[in-house]
Amino acid sequence: MDAKLIVFGETSLDKLLQWLRSSGEPKDIREVLIQYLQILSKSVTEDSE
Amino acid sequence: MTVASFHGSANQQELAEEIFRLMTTQGALFAVDAPIRQSLDNLAEYLAGKYQRDRNEIAAEIDAALTVNDQLFTRQESEQGVLFITSRQGAYVPRSTVDTHSFKKRLHDPENPLPVDDISVVVSTSRPAITTVEPVFISDYWQVQAGMSPVTPVLVEAMGHASTIAAVPVSPEVVAEAEPVVVEEIAATPEPVVATPEPVAVEPEPVVAEVVAAKPEPVAAAPESVKSSREAAGERSPLLNLPEGLTLDLSLPIEQILADQGERLEQILAHRLDQDALRRIVSFGRSYYPEASVTNLGKNDLRRIRDYILERNEPLLDTEIIADLYHHSPRQADYEGFRFSLNYRLHREKDFEFVGVEGARLWSTKGLPPIGGKRVKAAEMGQITSYLVEGFDNSLELQSAEAIRTSGSITRLLSFFEWEYGVLPFDASIAALVPTPMLPDQRSAVLRFESPQHYTTYLVEVRYPTGNRGGWLQGLEEFFRDHLVPGAMITISRGAEPNLFMISYEEAPEASDRLLTLDEKKNKFAFANLSYFCAVDADQVPSQSRYGRLKNLKSLPMGERRKSETVLEHVFEVMGEQVGSRSEPRYTLGLDDMLLAFNVLRPGSRSLLEHLLAHSDPFSSEADGRYLFTPAPREDEDTAEEVEDEEGNLQPTRRRFGRYSDDDE
Repeated sequence: MDAKLIVFGETSLDKLLQWLRSSGEPKDIREVLIQYLQILSKSVTEDSE
Repeated sequence: MTVASFHGSANQQELAEEIFRLMTTQGALFAVDAPIRQSLDNLAEYLAGKYQRDRNEIAAEIDAALTVNDQLFTRQESEQGVLFITSRQGAYVPRSTVDTHSFKKRLHDPENPLPVDDISVVVSTSRPAITTVEPVFISDYWQVQAGMSPVTPVLVEAMGHASTIAAVPVSPEVVAEAEPVVVEEIAATPEPVVATPEPVAVEPEPVVAEVVAAKPEPVAAAPESVKSSREAAGERSPLLNLPEGLTLDLSLPIEQILADQGERLEQILAHRLDQDALRRIVSFGRSYYPEASVTNLGKNDLRRIRDYILERNEPLLDTEIIADLYHHSPRQADYEGFRFSLNYRLHREKDFEFVGVEGARLWSTKGLPPIGGKRVKAAEMGQITSYLVEGFDNSLELQSAEAIRTSGSITRLLSFFEWEYGVLPFDASIAALVPTPMLPDQRSAVLRFESPQHYTTYLVEVRYPTGNRGGWLQGLEEFFRDHLVPGAMITISRGAEPNLFMISYEEAPEASDRLLTLDEKKNKFAFANLSYFCAVDADQVPSQSRYGRLKNLKSLPMGERRKSETVLEHVFEVMGEQVGSRSEPRYTLGLDDMLLAFNVLRPGSRSLLEHLLAHSDPFSSEADGRYLFTPAPREDEDTAEEVEDEEGNLQPTRRRFGRYSDDDE
């Protein structure tokens, strides 16, 4: 995925939600941010490969 | 049915019986009253074959025998010829469809209808509730399909593969039409296309012609995909530009991104999650949790929690509420989720107020006694301490904020106002010590102050600054009045818990002095004998021997004390040295005495006084470092009498600011 097409805070939010739900407990915003950045980075790098 | 029940001759009876048995056998699975039809031709053909007789002859016999037995057989002539009808129970009787006892009929047409007094009993006159359209979660996939989202997994795939082809020089027209071909080719055999772009470039026309001819529809949808594929093919950028002005390089390690702009990204992500129309992820403080996983609390739960807080008569921790009311153990797997749910739900209820800090989530509710009493109203204190948010705060002159954060303690002098009302202004030194608000809309927090010297505990409410109003701490009146005097040095330090603090002072041998006090009944300042056991700064103790004139200060209403200039003028008139004439009085006063007297009536900093002295006309500085106050000339000579009330009490000399309004929050 081209990073230009990403809307920060909207794109792949369902994946973030899925991760949060599977964790079973509330997460600090820093952890949420790290996970979200990982999701975005993965979507960019995977597609470019 | 026996043979005796058949009529006619013996032959006719036998024949009728055989035919009856034949037909009821044929309709063995029919309902007992269902018609069983058979034609004369069929019967004649069957029996003629069976008995090896002439068909017409036996047909005549059958017709005669069945006609005689018309109590069993109904003869019917139709286009197909003669039919005989019977049923398993005997003669066929057509079923009646007339319903004489239906519920429908009895409901709508009762035989004895009751009188209708009120039409609303029968017909509802109220409108049905307006249905609200609930937001529906639509996955990225379907949003892409509907063209609602720019991010499309399918499109991305197409772009990823198309990038290899787009490098081949092809005319725009060909590209526009060739896009579907690329997608289909790749879906079938992606590798060959990527590995060998040349063959595609060599003979694009046949492929285009072939596909366009076969599937003309996809050609219309192609241009957007082609545009995207061009972008992707040209320069695929890992740079993500945010509207807030940040640029994220997603190819960098996460740690580096966080180190560079982690806090800002946290704020942006938190804001975006809060703005999500579907509210899929909700927050409380820094914690985030799926809305669908939040445990619901009903009205009974909320009532129980409120009653329990009132019963305990002080704000309670969320963990206490969970343990005492719900008996949940922290070892349970869903404990943190339930804890989040409790905090999240209580925060949305207007009967509850969050008064905790990070690490100690305290809840208060309506009906709890106010911490620190009602002597000082919140609106007035907010205005009195507004000088702190206006920048006149020099509390960090002795200790830097960093030193306070590191050491976790502050030492400060206690002024008369602070001692009298149990209030500490929320200046920069205290701000560096106490936790910040956990929620954006949080206006107060409740801390627990322990005195290790007396084994006593006090609840202290922190009122955080809001807008142009200052903040303060209240609730220490009892401690100050019991153990300290104005001018004492106190030390406040952090405790083991985020909401726990220690308050202490340096003990000293007993000392007695006549110190300033406020007689609330008479609303007057006076000196009284006080014994104390704490170390003091002798220059800051309002003793009669040194500051005898303080007794003449008027206990101005809090509404007047908000006006720092008015208070300062009154301080000059009471504490200053008269250097003018009776008709044109002028007063001089040193800054230290001025600051002490000013802090009898209200909190104020040295920088606030310096600002007032420098920027107000009636004040000027003298060569000896003292300040001069020249009151505005009074038009009426009788003013002196006017300012004395019926009891002879001197009222504030100036009423320039109109009536004092006793408003509160």
